[in-house]
Amino acid sequence: MMALLRRHPALLPGLVFSAVLLLAPTFAERGTQNDLWNMAFFVVLAAAWNLLGGFAGQVSLGYSAFVGIGAYTTVLLAQAGWSPWLTLPVGAALAAAFSVVVGLPTFRLRGPYFTIATIGVGEAVRVIASGLDFTGGSSGLRMPAGTFDFTANYYAMVGLALGTLALVAWLQQNAFGLALEAIRQDIDGAEALGVNSTWVKLEAHAISSALVAVAGGLFATNFQYISPGSVFDFRLSLTIVLMPIVGGMGTLAGPVVGAMLFSYLQIKLLASPTLRDSYLFIYGGLLIVVMLFEPRGIMGLWERLWSRLPRRRTPAIAEARGAG
Amino acid sequence: MPAESAPILAVSSVSKRFGGLLALDTVSFEVQPKEIFSVIGPNGAGKTTLFSCLVGAVHPTTGSVRFRGEELSGLRNDQIVTRGLVRTHQIVKPFRDMTVADNIRVGVLYGRLRLRGSKARERVDEVLGRTQLVHRAQAKAGVLSIGELKRLEIARALATGPEVLCLDEVMGGLNPAEIQQAMVLVRALRDSGLTILMIEHHVHAVAGLSDRLVVLNFGKKIAEGRPGEVLRDPAVVAAYLGDETKEEARA
Amino acid sequence: MQKLAIVALNSLLAAGLYATMSYGLAVIYGVMRIINLAHAGLMMLAAYATWALNDRFGLDPFLSMLVVAPAFFLLGMALYATVIRWLPRSSAGPSMQSLLLLFGVWLVLQNLAYAIWGGDTQSILTPYTMESVQIFGGRFGIPQILVFVVSILSLVGLNLVLRRTFLGKAIRAVTQNRDAAMLSGVNAGQIAAVAFGIGTAFAAMAGSMLSTLYAFTPDFGRSFLLKAFCIIVLGGMESFTGVAVGALVLAFIENFASAYTSIPVSYQDAISFTLLVVVLVAAPGGLPGLWRLLDRRVVAR
Repeated sequence: MMALLRRHPALLPGLVFSAVLLLAPTFAERGTQNDLWNMAFFVVLAAAWNLLGGFAGQVSLGYSAFVGIGAYTTVLLAQAGWSPWLTLPVGAALAAAFSVVVGLPTFRLRGPYFTIATIGVGEAVRVIASGLDFTGGSSGLRMPAGTFDFTANYYAMVGLALGTLALVAWLQQNAFGLALEAIRQDIDGAEALGVNSTWVKLEAHAISSALVAVAGGLFATNFQYISPGSVFDFRLSLTIVLMPIVGGMGTLAGPVVGAMLFSYLQIKLLASPTLRDSYLFIYGGLLIVVMLFEPRGIMGLWERLWSRLPRRRTPAIAEARGAG
Repeated sequence: MPAESAPILAVSSVSKRFGGLLALDTVSFEVQPKEIFSVIGPNGAGKTTLFSCLVGAVHPTTGSVRFRGEELSGLRNDQIVTRGLVRTHQIVKPFRDMTVADNIRVGVLYGRLRLRGSKARERVDEVLGRTQLVHRAQAKAGVLSIGELKRLEIARALATGPEVLCLDEVMGGLNPAEIQQAMVLVRALRDSGLTILMIEHHVHAVAGLSDRLVVLNFGKKIAEGRPGEVLRDPAVVAAYLGDETKEEARA
Repeated sequence: MQKLAIVALNSLLAAGLYATMSYGLAVIYGVMRIINLAHAGLMMLAAYATWALNDRFGLDPFLSMLVVAPAFFLLGMALYATVIRWLPRSSAGPSMQSLLLLFGVWLVLQNLAYAIWGGDTQSILTPYTMESVQIFGGRFGIPQILVFVVSILSLVGLNLVLRRTFLGKAIRAVTQNRDAAMLSGVNAGQIAAVAFGIGTAFAAMAGSMLSTLYAFTPDFGRSFLLKAFCIIVLGGMESFTGVAVGALVLAFIENFASAYTSIPVSYQDAISFTLLVVVLVAAPGGLPGLWRLLDRRVVAR
């Protein structure tokens, strides 16, 4: 048991975290459950984005497109009579397909150029969604009556969040995760060793976009009303990116920390009108501070502090492991 | 007359142009299986560009490269590596934040062999052993010494399970003892079944190791053959050893 | 035929503005290899500043540029000294760190505008805003023509500075080869500060001019930023003539599309974005790269 915990240090906090989320409906009131639902929503978005953005190093500023695809798919199919739960895989599949369409040309671009291209994609999607008729134009769409069940919604989102974290943790450990890391560090070097970097990037993009779309579908089910302003918004793309960046890109805990921070911020901002108008200051300021002082985010800061602490080392064991 | 075995690598009239610069000019040669074949020439002769063309890091402007009879032009770097042709880089660039073992693991998982699970782990251990990096397996690649980094570069390429291994100046910057070790390693690699192409400046290493070699100057092939003949060729001496006498004097 | 002339003239007029907008970005990229996302925010802020001067003092927007441009030049240098200077230089091209940092600055600028002026749409009305002239049977607004004139003047001015002054030569030197420039005695840090100032000043001029042509909100700037990226990528990131050509090409394509096809104007962003992606993917060297390619094919054999 102790060996297992030492090898996976995130396991203990992860279990505690999961327990709290899963047991909340039994002891927490509705308002708190709502906040936890929000946090879980952010966890999914941040952790899924992190797969491509943090692990593979491809920063996309257009992820709200996938939230929107998931949300709109769910609402439109539900209006056509589908059960909301069955709409989720469809939204996921559509998002994944769209991510490949976007990825094929844009993944040829490196670093910042890719990021700029994704800004354009997000904008283009929003413009088109506001313009089309069957998506309800800029006034949005409403879920059909009788599709709201808070407890089910809660467990669905929490389940998605925990599932996403588990999936990302698993991917990080196996061959795919190694390829992502190699691409992030030195894409040409990775290709020189046989990694088909475009294919790996497309896979990561598809998986993360699918997860984000499912979250979007659940968002629609919970809020019962969506519009291009709520789901295709650039601000949402921004929040999605800021959470892992501030929390710590390329780590497992980073997006979670970031999600907790931002869902807390959101609650505070919505409560106070003056703060609400200053959210750009806060977001922009956070971005500036993080980029200047600790680009690896909160988890990077944590690691820096942790490594400064005097600790008892056991050199004998380390050597033995290294020579093994 | 016994039929000649088919060459494992056939380079035909390969030229490479970068804007106004002609880096390679209709270079042709063949490499036999399990040969140690060296490519030598003064600095700027186009040797590394040649290797880049072989593995698909750049595409030849004209000409063809055939590996085991298959045309490689137009294939991507990773596609060529999975077919069994890989190279090391003159300027080593490991994945700095990864451990030595993980650096090697990339090639094991994604190279020609595409191993998984316990077979992958065994192969990583095997490669660590052959390049004498076992004691550094868990070290981050960023902290290695230059000699270890060179061995890691070979290890990464070896991990992909190639049939043809192109070594680009693996002995650059090594002291004489390390050069001896490297020569032993290259021979061992060939004896294990690999074909080796080498770009190398150390003339005695080239002479001692190579079965045959080719000399490039300003992108053109100026000589080809056994070390004994080529290194005495006046054209080669004129073009190349002008550089080399300085190197030899230092060595 | 007449329609084509009108489209061409419209394109020319627009290209002047586009070029001014893009040069600011190009100078900063050339000297520092930084993609300045705050460019959009600076344009927007300048538009507001121009509007405020017009609203408060009745100052003509074109005249106020004489105030706004120098002020923003200083603002740019201040930005460099406080924030940009600390970014680590990466030899491998623009870094994500710089991109995201400047993105943060853009957000802060947006919030600043919201805080000071609110989120309402603003526009500037002058006695000549509605006036126009007839050329080739098409109507061209006076503001449009004035913008073109001012753009050309500022670009000629920039060109003179770059070619005739020591400062300009130093900027070009650092753009081409930073290390060599430093070896020749150029203080790269000072040049970077000045370049950032120039870039910001040009963003400000573009913003002022835009305020005479369009209504704006604090969110304004994003689509123009995309156009500017498109232009400098088209023009080849490091070529100043290229930027001018890129501006012409983009302006022409946009005007052509709206005159001869039924693509709605709101989709214009999609046009510039698509062009941006296409060029980045198919011709990373921009038009100069394509020209070299063409040149080689014609001359080689």
